[in-house]
Amino acid sequence: MRPNIRIALTHLKAKKRQTIVAMLGVTFGIAIFIFQAGLMSGFQSTFINQTVNTTANIRLYNEAEKDRPSIAGQVDSLRNNLIAVRNQKPKEELPRIKNGLQIIESLEHHPEVVGVSPFLGSQSIFKMGIATVAGRVSGVNIEKENLLFDLAKNTRQGDIFDLQTIPNGIILGEGLADLLGAHLHDNINVISPKGVELEMKIVGIHRSGLTEADKSRAYINIRNAQKLLQVDGAYITDINIKLRDINKAEILAKEFSLKYKYTAQDWKNANANIFGIFKIQNMITYLIIASILIVSGFGIFNILMMIIYEKMQDIAILKAIGYRDRDIRVIFLTESLIIGFVGGLLGLLLGFTMQTIVGNIRMDVKGFVSMEYLKFNQSPAFYAFAFIFGLIVTAISGYIPARKASQVDPIEIIRGK
Amino acid sequence: MTMGAILETKSLNKFFRDPVEFQALKNINISVERGEFVSIIGSSGSGKSTLLYILSTLDTDYAGSLFLESDDLSKKTKNELASIRNEMIGFVFQFHYLLPEFTVLENVMLPALKLGKKHEEEIESDAMQKLELLDMKSQALKKANKLSGGQQQRAAIARALINDPKIVFGDEPTGNLDSKNSQNVLEIFKELKKNLLQTILVVTHDMNFANNTDRIIRLHDGEVVQH
Ligand SMILES: Nc1ncnc2c1ncn2[C@@H]1O[C@H](COP(=O)(O)OP(=O)(O)OP(=O)(O)O)[C@@H](O)[C@H]1O
Ligand SMILES: [Mg+2]
Repeated sequence: MRPNIRIALTHLKAKKRQTIVAMLGVTFGIAIFIFQAGLMSGFQSTFINQTVNTTANIRLYNEAEKDRPSIAGQVDSLRNNLIAVRNQKPKEELPRIKNGLQIIESLEHHPEVVGVSPFLGSQSIFKMGIATVAGRVSGVNIEKENLLFDLAKNTRQGDIFDLQTIPNGIILGEGLADLLGAHLHDNINVISPKGVELEMKIVGIHRSGLTEADKSRAYINIRNAQKLLQVDGAYITDINIKLRDINKAEILAKEFSLKYKYTAQDWKNANANIFGIFKIQNMITYLIIASILIVSGFGIFNILMMIIYEKMQDIAILKAIGYRDRDIRVIFLTESLIIGFVGGLLGLLLGFTMQTIVGNIRMDVKGFVSMEYLKFNQSPAFYAFAFIFGLIVTAISGYIPARKASQVDPIEIIRGK
Repeated sequence: MTMGAILETKSLNKFFRDPVEFQALKNINISVERGEFVSIIGSSGSGKSTLLYILSTLDTDYAGSLFLESDDLSKKTKNELASIRNEMIGFVFQFHYLLPEFTVLENVMLPALKLGKKHEEEIESDAMQKLELLDMKSQALKKANKLSGGQQQRAAIARALINDPKIVFGDEPTGNLDSKNSQNVLEIFKELKKNLLQTILVVTHDMNFANNTDRIIRLHDGEVVQH
């Protein structure tokens, strides 16, 4: 074994307690790093998955009148005045997509498109007995909708495809059913803003995982939605599109928008605010992790300074017998890297164990998203990153003492007695 | 340059500037012959240690020249001097200065491991041989801090010899030992000189020790007054 490494190991062995304490500092730093970052990333990807699964890759709709100018501004006599109109309400429902069926037909032939689903939504009131809940109905073709959003997978009770065979079928979100106290096969009333009331039979209970949506949404056949809104059988407001490759959503959205003259929104754009929150969340997480590791770094710095202080004589003698400044630096840097390496490996192990234990505890989180178990991102890249980051912190906190040691003047020590 | 001189100084001057300017060595011209056993004596503060640190290349802050085997050391870099100390110079200090957590054997091996010219097994057998020479073989596997003062000093001598140096320096090597152990160390040095033709230069307060060397260099107020 190289003498420098041998000397480093001997120093550490002679200071077992302090060495272990310094190692544990790194261990906890790395473990918390992995746990926290894995939790955050796991949560975010769960959320993104659930959101992406419930957001169309591209949604085509008619935005024409969303930002309509205020009527006051159109009055000739007021042209030259500043006008402020507060609380201008957008129209409650989106305007129709004309020739929607032709557009669907055309989209279905596009090579990048794997599914197209027409949509007609409406505010509605759900009533069962005395229970009344406000929400939205989504008028869909259930088979096509399933192709886009994998609804069948999230069905808790019943069979969603009954929507095609049972004329007045309805699928309720799990939370909505709870609010109404409704069960599978019960009949409920759905009342539209137009005042149309339909009696419908529950054929399925559905859970998307997005708590808010599950408390307010119901699926019905698009024909029934048209009845509720008193519109013709070709009337739709949205076309939802599933792509072969979701990463092409942005480009294709532009293409479709130009081609069909309607607004096309891709999934990233639709969830832009969430990605913004994630960015801040990540920043805070990594700041916390960095501070923890810096504290571990101080631990290493401390123990090394202590060892060096006690080993002044060793340093002087090593220099007298021909060890160079560089050798001394290598010795103490090796000591800190051994602490960092072993502490880091143990940290990876501890972090993994913590994730496994916590990941197996049933949580039944019902917040933003609902999940039964916490999901951790256990990708090797995270572990590698944590480990390397730990080694860098270790190297930096070891370098300063190591340099100091290499600058010791042996004469001062030898004369000092 | 004297024929056969292994170590030689030319007009060596040493100044300390802190706290006030002070000339510790004044125009030192000495030489040590191959195989000579020389002692440096002088009253406290006369500059013995200061001279020894310069001769042994630990101190490079001086004026004048220093030759080891005709090689001018005053022009060498720090790293070159470290290699020279490793390969050509042996040290024995007053306070033993073994690495306390290492075994005696490991302490003796350290300079040779640094030199890296031999395999570890070879170095180990060399070290055992040196320890045997000093009657320390039985202590080889003990931790250095478990030895008595006299044993530590003998281990330090073995370490000084491991790379077969051109010259061994001692700074009061018996200064911390009782008379029996001092006598013992003196005998060892005499034998090294006689049997191995080892060149030795020792700073000492001990007149009995000095009188047993080949030659005495006496310092007074930084000047050589006898050599
Ligand atoms: N680092 C220093 N700074 C200033 N002056 C010093 C320094 N080291 C030594 N001196 C001075 O140089 C002179 C010679 O010191 P040195 O240690 O060489 O004496 P010495 O002959 O070895 O004495 P002793 O027998 O007590 O060990 C002394 O006057 C001392 O005070
Ligand atoms: Mg002295």
